[in-house]
Amino acid sequence: MIFEYFMSGLDIVLNWNSILAILFGVAWGTIGGMIPGINATIAMALLLPFTWGMEPAVALMMLSGVYCGGEYGGSIPAILIGTPGTNAAAATVLDGYELHKQGKTGLALFSSLNASVFGGIVGATALVFLAIPLAKVALAFGPAEYFALAALGLTMICSLGEKNVFKGILAGFLGILVSTVGFDPFAGVPRFTFDILSLASGFEMVPLMMGLYAITEMFKQSQAVVGNDGFFLKAQAVTKFPTWKETKPLVFPASWAATLGVIIGAMPGAGATAAAFISYSEAKRWSKNPDSFGKGNPIGVAVPEAANNAVTGGALVPLLALGIPGSNSTAIMLGALMIHNVAPGPLLFQKTPEIPYSIFVSLFFANFFLFFIGYLCIKFAIKMTNISKPALIAVIIALVFTGSFAYSGEVFSMGVALSFGLFGLGMRYFGLPHTATVLGFVLGFIMEANLRRALIISEGNYSGVFASSAISSVLLSLAIVSVVFSFYRGYKASQKSGKTVAL
Amino acid sequence: MFKRNTMLMLLTLGLIALMIFSVGCGAKDPAPAPAPSPEPAKEEKPAWPQQDIEVVYHSKAGSGGDIFLRAMGKAVEPALGKAFVVNNLPGAAGATAWTRVAKAKPDGHTILGISSTLVTAPLINKMPVNFMSFEPVAMMFIDPMVIFVPADSPYKTLADIVDAAKKNPGKQKWAGGTPGELGVVAGRELMKAADFKVSLVPFEGGGDAAVSVLGGHLDAGIGEYAEIASSVEAGQLRIIVAFNKMPLNQEIPTVAEEGYPEVDVRKLRGIVATKGTPPEIIDRLVEVMKTAYDDPSFKQYYESNNLIPEFVVKDDFLKVMEEQHEQIKASLEN
Repeated sequence: MIFEYFMSGLDIVLNWNSILAILFGVAWGTIGGMIPGINATIAMALLLPFTWGMEPAVALMMLSGVYCGGEYGGSIPAILIGTPGTNAAAATVLDGYELHKQGKTGLALFSSLNASVFGGIVGATALVFLAIPLAKVALAFGPAEYFALAALGLTMICSLGEKNVFKGILAGFLGILVSTVGFDPFAGVPRFTFDILSLASGFEMVPLMMGLYAITEMFKQSQAVVGNDGFFLKAQAVTKFPTWKETKPLVFPASWAATLGVIIGAMPGAGATAAAFISYSEAKRWSKNPDSFGKGNPIGVAVPEAANNAVTGGALVPLLALGIPGSNSTAIMLGALMIHNVAPGPLLFQKTPEIPYSIFVSLFFANFFLFFIGYLCIKFAIKMTNISKPALIAVIIALVFTGSFAYSGEVFSMGVALSFGLFGLGMRYFGLPHTATVLGFVLGFIMEANLRRALIISEGNYSGVFASSAISSVLLSLAIVSVVFSFYRGYKASQKSGKTVAL
Repeated sequence: MFKRNTMLMLLTLGLIALMIFSVGCGAKDPAPAPAPSPEPAKEEKPAWPQQDIEVVYHSKAGSGGDIFLRAMGKAVEPALGKAFVVNNLPGAAGATAWTRVAKAKPDGHTILGISSTLVTAPLINKMPVNFMSFEPVAMMFIDPMVIFVPADSPYKTLADIVDAAKKNPGKQKWAGGTPGELGVVAGRELMKAADFKVSLVPFEGGGDAAVSVLGGHLDAGIGEYAEIASSVEAGQLRIIVAFNKMPLNQEIPTVAEEGYPEVDVRKLRGIVATKGTPPEIIDRLVEVMKTAYDDPSFKQYYESNNLIPEFVVKDDFLKVMEEQHEQIKASLEN
């Protein structure tokens, strides 16, 4: 049965229109992902009006192509300039940029490509064979469980402050603080907006991230240029495709990360960014050599990339199995279906099975194309390292401001990017990790909203939140263990170096 | 070496320019404007439209309201003779979009697509604009609101759920929107009319709420039909009662039919124009909007999405918004 439908899906995909649509979608998505300020969702939204004249299946295939490309593309600037092109690539900066600075550019870029393609294929396979059980997993997650998952993800801030546990926690809490600005969805009043209308819906992710990563980095690099640290990258970057020997240790962690990515992707309200961060922190937690993370460990590149691309398959689960979009990107796919009067959901499989199955097949094709398009983009992007730094910095700053502006259409967003750039520079001065702040920002709101929902459900009983299900108890216990363990390790490390932990 | 770099730079910049160009303009409908229809010149008609109509909307491209406007745009273009270009300005909780139209030249070339959010948002935030800052043109549709439960829920009718809630006040947990959102308003109005109490758990997106009800974490949910349509069709969720009579589901009772006719909550979609737009142009706009209902593909769109056509124009439309303003204000106060 599945096989028959699969063949009919293959039938639709195997014609020039579809192939070109997927190819164009992947290229568009990858380029969009590479540009700071444009993520997979925005790249899809930009193409949406163009899909109206197409067959619904072709439109959906093109959009899934953009989705795959977009989730990958963000890793290229993350590695080359320390600025994630998309939110979901923020975790990739940690080790990717470090590898690039060490001259292992090729290893970082190609590992990220391989991991992305691998993750994408795992996601697509899971979607085909496990859509129904995955939908059940998504349904098992209520507010208490989401809170627990976000809390567990957030424990990663403890380990981001290198030797000092408190720096990571402080930076993370700053992120949570920033996430509270805006409309309070429970009390129905604006919070910390100081009557500034542009803050009424809170800080937007794009200008915030662009500020913290790109602008801070550009400021820092400008300083280096002025201090005549050389116009060009000093170390000659090795840009060769990694060998099997270099790739082999990545396979196992990437498989886990992809699995985690599929599951998190299937839950509405978590998303690719959360998936990338959570899988990164888990990979670090279970690694034999956790200290090598953040210092240029290729696993640190492969894991978040495998996870955020596996999300593409997972995120389609609620859309196709339940008819409910689980993320902004799938909401756009929903829009593309609705405009053609095709309602998604379980009935899609009975009424027009060729549509879901052609999406399945197209995901495999998209990931296959992604490998080649990604390869070309890398070959092209690597040359950027030869461009003189002042020119590169100028272009990036222009891009960052345009990206911030374009998203909301407000000049205010450019101010937000600039302010967070300066803020980031200050944080760097005090050794506070930016990633912890971004993580706090991303997970802070998920945590707060779901904790408050869970508390309404348990009628204000905190222990009810903790023990509402096996899932939340296990996740929260893990979170506590992990915090305690981080402190213990921080304590040991400080003893070793002969210094006391700054309390 | 240098030459090669320059070439690459140019190429990069070219690509980037392409992307940015599409960010700026891509949100607009790329369909070329149909040639102006050779309409016989009628003497009293104002010379409108002289250019493409910019329709500003407060949410992102691809959102439900945006898709609605674009679909409607295609339907009115023949009567308009010009393109109907949607411009999405999501910033500042909607104020960016609304201020743009409020401050536009009152010539009917910049109009505003609205939903009930235009009534809600200024009540929550201090804004320089609200629904009264505009010239009302036409309310076009109502998004039906419904109360839904998981398919295996013991509650079959509104009476079941009200009785159960009366026995255990506040024990039932319903997924709803954020304060001021029309689902919450509808819930409050119903609770007031039927004298019962449940806890409303706020959700920001309709998808999350529906999944939480589907997963059995909550007893029921209250929201737009559109957000749960496929789960209902597939028999996973069941609608207990609707706040508005749905054309596709005549069998589903409304709250009025269940004995609470005073509960009248209408999540509206419509068009308003800049204050001071000449009445002749408003009349032309009303005329043009009305043609949308007959367009076959738009008709298929709104019928299959269960949108309820309700054409209320000018001052009557303002009255609808005024009533809604009072309802929302009351719901925010308690």
